[in-house]
Amino acid sequence: MSDIIIHDTNSEFVYKWQSQVKKGTLAFILLNVLKTNEFYGYELMEQVKKITDIEIAEGTLYPLMNRLKKEGLVKSKWVEQESGIPRKYYKLTNMGTEALIEMVIYWQNLQLSIKKVTR
Amino acid sequence: MKALEFENQLAKNIYDNYIKRISKTITILSNEDKKEILMEFNSHIYEGLQNTNRKTELESVLKITQDLGNPEEVLKPLIADKKLKQATRTFNPKHIIQAILLNIKNGVVYSVFAGLYLCLFVFGILLLLKIIYPNEAGLFYDDQGFAVLGLYGSSENTTDILGDWFIPMALFSSVALYIIITLLLKTTRKKKA
Repeated sequence: MSDIIIHDTNSEFVYKWQSQVKKGTLAFILLNVLKTNEFYGYELMEQVKKITDIEIAEGTLYPLMNRLKKEGLVKSKWVEQESGIPRKYYKLTNMGTEALIEMVIYWQNLQLSIKKVTR
Repeated sequence: MKALEFENQLAKNIYDNYIKRISKTITILSNEDKKEILMEFNSHIYEGLQNTNRKTELESVLKITQDLGNPEEVLKPLIADKKLKQATRTFNPKHIIQAILLNIKNGVVYSVFAGLYLCLFVFGILLLLKIIYPNEAGLFYDDQGFAVLGLYGSSENTTDILGDWFIPMALFSSVALYIIITLLLKTTRKKKA
């Protein structure tokens, strides 16, 4: 009986932790996706889904892109389409590229530490 | 924003309802921000419909809106951000109150700002009181050198330092303080970003 309770508490903790990690790394993933190409919102989300099994509400992408834009890491432009429904394309700025380089270095160091600690 | 067209009435209702929920969530934002957000979500739904592997329009629109999530939840951080930007740009008290309330969970600093504006508000009330009760409200000191800013029963021992000058002085300081606090808020917003 007590085993089951302990198990439940753990899985809830792990689940919350996973969702925090996912939320925390989303900006890093998005900047990486934008490294080589510019994408519009829907396409950007598709790319993210292709490389990770992220299970967040897709709508959260837009507040996050707004924040990245405010911080000067990405820029956006509306591009008219034949359908009459324009697309908003996002692109990395120079500042964004520089930030990404720093983030990648940090991530690699973190990865090494985690490897050591989980050995 | 160009509304999407649907053949299936139920699919159209779901789409209309979703757009309506977004509009309702973002009513407090500027028209420009509202347009931007609606256009972006509309574009997301449109692109989703073009790239769907679902059999029917109804299934597709259900899946897309479900994946996007509840607008009320999803848009919360965006609204808090945009409202604060609008508030510190326009200096409009209505926007400032809304922005502080929306951001109060985002850091202790916003509670401090709430306190500062509240003090300013009380100061404003004192200004009104001075007009209503000219003798009791103002800046006083008594013969023991004790100074009071507020309501104070005037007697022989107390001196009203500013007299009627209290009104223009308080008005000027309130406006100056309002501008200073709001400029501080603006700096905080930029630093937080």
